Amino acid sequence: MTNHWIDLRNADVVMICGSNAVENHPLAARWIQKAREKGAVVLSCDPRYTRTTAFSDHYCKLRSGTDIAFVGGMINYALQHGRVNKEYVRHYTNATFIINSEFDFEDGLFAGFNPDTDPPSYDKSKWKYELDGDGVPKRDMTLEHPRCVFQLMKKHYARYDVDMACNITGSPKKDYLKVCDIYTSTWKPDRVATWMYAMGTTQHTHGTQNIRSYVLLQLLLGNIGMAGGGINALRGESNVQGSTDMALLFHILPGYLKTPKVGQETLAAHNEASTPKANDPLSANWWQNYPKYMVSLLKAFWGDHATEENDYAFNYLGKISGPPRTHIAMFESMYEGDVKGLFCFGQNPAVGGPNCRKEIAALEKLDWLVAVDIFESDTSVFWKRPGVNPSNIQTEVFLLPAAASMEKEGSVVNSGRWAQWRYKAAEPPGEAISDAAIITKMVQAVKAAYEAGGQFPDPIVHLDWNYNVDEHGEPDIHMVAKEVNGQFTRDCEVKGKQFKKGDQVPSFAYLQTDGSTNSGNWLYCNAYTGPNKEDNKMARRGKEDAVNQIGLYPNWSWCWPVNRRIIYNRASVDLHGKPWDSKRWVIRWNPALKDGAGGWEGDVPDGGWPPMLKPDGTENEKTKRPFIMRTEGVACLFSTSLKDGPFPEHYEPLESPIRNLMSVQHNNPAIKIWEPDLIADPDEYPVVCTTYRVSEHWQAGNMTRNVPWLVELMPNVFVEMSPVLAREKGITHGDWVHVVTTRGTLEAQAIVTERFEPFVIGGKTVHQIGVPWHWGFNGLATGDSANLLTPHVGDANTMIPEFKAFLCRIEKGRRQEMHV
Amino acid sequence: MKALLIDTIRCTGCRSCQVACKEWNELPAEETSFFGGPGYQNPKDLSKNTWNLITFNEVKLNGRLKWIFGKKQCMHCLEPGCVSACPVGALEKTADGPVIYHKNICIGCRYCMLACPFQIPRFDFDSPNPYITKCRLCHDRQEMGEIPACAKACPTGAITFGEREDMVREAQRRIAENPDKYHHKVYGLEEAGGTCVLHISSVPFEEIGYITDIPNEPVCANVKPAMKAIPAVMLGAALILGASYKFRNRTRDEEPAAHG
Ligand code: SF4
Ligand code: SF4
Ligand code: SF4
Repeated sequence: MTNHWIDLRNADVVMICGSNAVENHPLAARWIQKAREKGAVVLSCDPRYTRTTAFSDHYCKLRSGTDIAFVGGMINYALQHGRVNKEYVRHYTNATFIINSEFDFEDGLFAGFNPDTDPPSYDKSKWKYELDGDGVPKRDMTLEHPRCVFQLMKKHYARYDVDMACNITGSPKKDYLKVCDIYTSTWKPDRVATWMYAMGTTQHTHGTQNIRSYVLLQLLLGNIGMAGGGINALRGESNVQGSTDMALLFHILPGYLKTPKVGQETLAAHNEASTPKANDPLSANWWQNYPKYMVSLLKAFWGDHATEENDYAFNYLGKISGPPRTHIAMFESMYEGDVKGLFCFGQNPAVGGPNCRKEIAALEKLDWLVAVDIFESDTSVFWKRPGVNPSNIQTEVFLLPAAASMEKEGSVVNSGRWAQWRYKAAEPPGEAISDAAIITKMVQAVKAAYEAGGQFPDPIVHLDWNYNVDEHGEPDIHMVAKEVNGQFTRDCEVKGKQFKKGDQVPSFAYLQTDGSTNSGNWLYCNAYTGPNKEDNKMARRGKEDAVNQIGLYPNWSWCWPVNRRIIYNRASVDLHGKPWDSKRWVIRWNPALKDGAGGWEGDVPDGGWPPMLKPDGTENEKTKRPFIMRTEGVACLFSTSLKDGPFPEHYEPLESPIRNLMSVQHNNPAIKIWEPDLIADPDEYPVVCTTYRVSEHWQAGNMTRNVPWLVELMPNVFVEMSPVLAREKGITHGDWVHVVTTRGTLEAQAIVTERFEPFVIGGKTVHQIGVPWHWGFNGLATGDSANLLTPHVGDANTMIPEFKAFLCRIEKGRRQEMHV
Repeated sequence: MKALLIDTIRCTGCRSCQVACKEWNELPAEETSFFGGPGYQNPKDLSKNTWNLITFNEVKLNGRLKWIFGKKQCMHCLEPGCVSACPVGALEKTADGPVIYHKNICIGCRYCMLACPFQIPRFDFDSPNPYITKCRLCHDRQEMGEIPACAKACPTGAITFGEREDMVREAQRRIAENPDKYHHKVYGLEEAGGTCVLHISSVPFEEIGYITDIPNEPVCANVKPAMKAIPAVMLGAALILGASYKFRNRTRDEEPAAHG
């Protein structure tokens, strides 16, 4: 989230699209309710009527997988009706930037497309800014230049008129226009809208571009950086934000540093490739500090063994080569027999993986599998699932019992980036120990093995793992947290302050490239600023609000970066530092502060530089533009960051019931297609299917399907469908039905409900059904996983699977084939 | 006197309250299959192990579908029919509001079940010493200075707890300030003489399955003295009822068995 949970209460319009927030993040409703009490309007845009819809004021349905058509139409509506915060757009986005003349868009493809790579890709040099003699992008502050971003954007989205949008999405025009009108009403500086999204947005072959489309709209309306605004990703697990920050992904290191690539032989070469350069003196270009964060991370990993002489142990890091190790790619390799062993920490791919039948088959190819979980998971017993003979499976499986979250101390980072310290409430049962202890035991064993010799043992034997492990094998989690923050590795002076070896680093502004600091994650530098437990800011529980009284609660826990509760908050003020919205101001410039030198008050500002203009209206050369993480210093309506285009463009999901009405390019051109033979023919599989979660169960169900009270509420998997489709198929409420895709078959009982309605798409009736995906063959409540149905295909940028839109057919009666 | 205010406009149907009630009162889960009622409703109805049930109702409001979640539990009447019907004083209306049950006094006659206008009390048919079960307004928590478990668990403030007069005022305020959103009635303000559980909603209460043909006078208000006069007879009746327990139990099968 750019903002945070409590901040939802500040919104005038709450858009819930791409998430089922009320149902799957039940506490979100607490803050939405507070906004409603102050008159906020809640919009629910979703393929089906959910418990979120029940909590909303207006509902507009859209077919799964058509978000960009939906939002593209809203962008066009804002542009056509002049509902744009022009000052904001002019100064805080790249709307004024001129794009070079090679850029083009034709037949659904942007300039630079190369169909011959695997997957197909774009030559992004065709998407560059036109630069002036100093290498600074040229701008047209009137927004009139035909090649300025604003005009290109206007042209691109003019194709998304209301009729086109509704034709693709199947949204009723009246409902859609109401959503457009209410949402874009927040273009006024003193009205603000928030967008709450989750996996309904991301789990598509164009998932990242779905998010980009929200960003474009929010920027046009001037809603980013504002209280009650922003673009808010609701994380699906209590600590998934923390796990991403700590880099539980293959392509990043903690703090979103980059995993080195083969070819980057030295730290200098890696830094050169990873550190952006800005020629614009008004760009803070915060990532210019990349080398400081990288060296500090290496010092945290290898301590005294990371020296200037050995390039701070840079070559101890693994480097990426070969195919990307995303979830799907990894399971494809496993299926081919190229992966020999798998550690599965709290993950249950036998239920949660796309095309899970294939993923289970892949598990059978492993030599060994270690599952770490609080209950025996479906994955850990894949070898004795119904219908198989265990003696035919050679994989050696270990199940390590883990402590649950309440059985260990540590931090949990919520969607709003708040790192909240938690204490141990109970002892873990039996032999269960914390994940940190499990990993520590492994580190100790592997170190011992390599100390006896092996290939390139240095990275392992030199790994700095000094966390005062106790007699139960539990490391001192405070020492871990302190190292994550960062410490001085020798006595030194930084910014005129003296520090001793071992002192905690006060904030990431003090991190160094010379090895005098370590930091396990630069973003968390400022979370634990002294030697004692009282210095652990994550454990703070102060209930007083900040001066602006907008619910920042700055002394409750701590959030990254440097306790800034609303990021990009320097875009919440005009060029003079005056809040766009004085009722809900986030920060404001107070010239009386600092003995008349002036300063910001309110939230921790995104950099302390003075406002863009001096009081006399001339440009302040000491200022920096507000989007400090961007090289441009402004937010990007046109972006070169993504693989599949600078503007979001509508493409159909891999499997869709109709041809793309927008262009001849049917699917996202930059996706990797693993299983071309399994793409469904809409004549054979005419019904759109989507998968989702319910309040009562959690992810792949291992926790909740073993809790009797929750099993009582939701005992079985079910399929939801409209009465119209049910009638066509002779299905009545409660009947057993089976759903068939090219991947597999699921059986479940039918809920026939008006909460589902057919869509009219391009003049044709299209049915959509839905299946929750929590069930599996193990545990107290068993049933088919919806992922028996889902395709092995992912987003062009992130490779997140397309769980949310695919094709199926549905038949009355139970399925014949029993094997899973 | 304390009361709960239930606002279906604020209810998301998350059922935290339903689980919290079982957790606090140590009630086991029932074995269910598919759904017991419309939507995601489970179990089907109140039972000896389910004192609080969120009901799922798909209704039409201004021509459009509206999913509304009701809450079914003891209403804690100001002058409870159950209390007045109980010949031995096993049910008691406390000064703080909760209508509580004394298991050791109960003779198992089930007059309370017949007398309750809201059809709330359930009878444990599986026990050789059968007893009555229903929501207790968490009087045990109140004694500890805590609010009822369901109110504590509710994320949105759909359940609020406080002095009854404050709850009435709050209900009336919400309706007055949002006359287009709310149906203009506080359910429980007058029903059966008034209750300590109040409900407000966006639609008339019969549309979400609430019993609405309840007179505004207290039910069976005069039964109690009459019954008190014949305790010996009732005691005899109770013995007969007890003896017939086994037989009845064999013929009853609508009470689902518990698991877990
Ligand atoms: S609702 Fe029924 S059981 Fe509850 S107090 Fe009133 S009469 Fe008694
Ligand atoms: S007041 Fe207590 S006993 Fe009654 S429904 Fe709520 S939690 Fe259950
Ligand atoms: S906890 Fe509150 S919101 Fe959830 S179902 Fe119960 S009353 Fe409704």
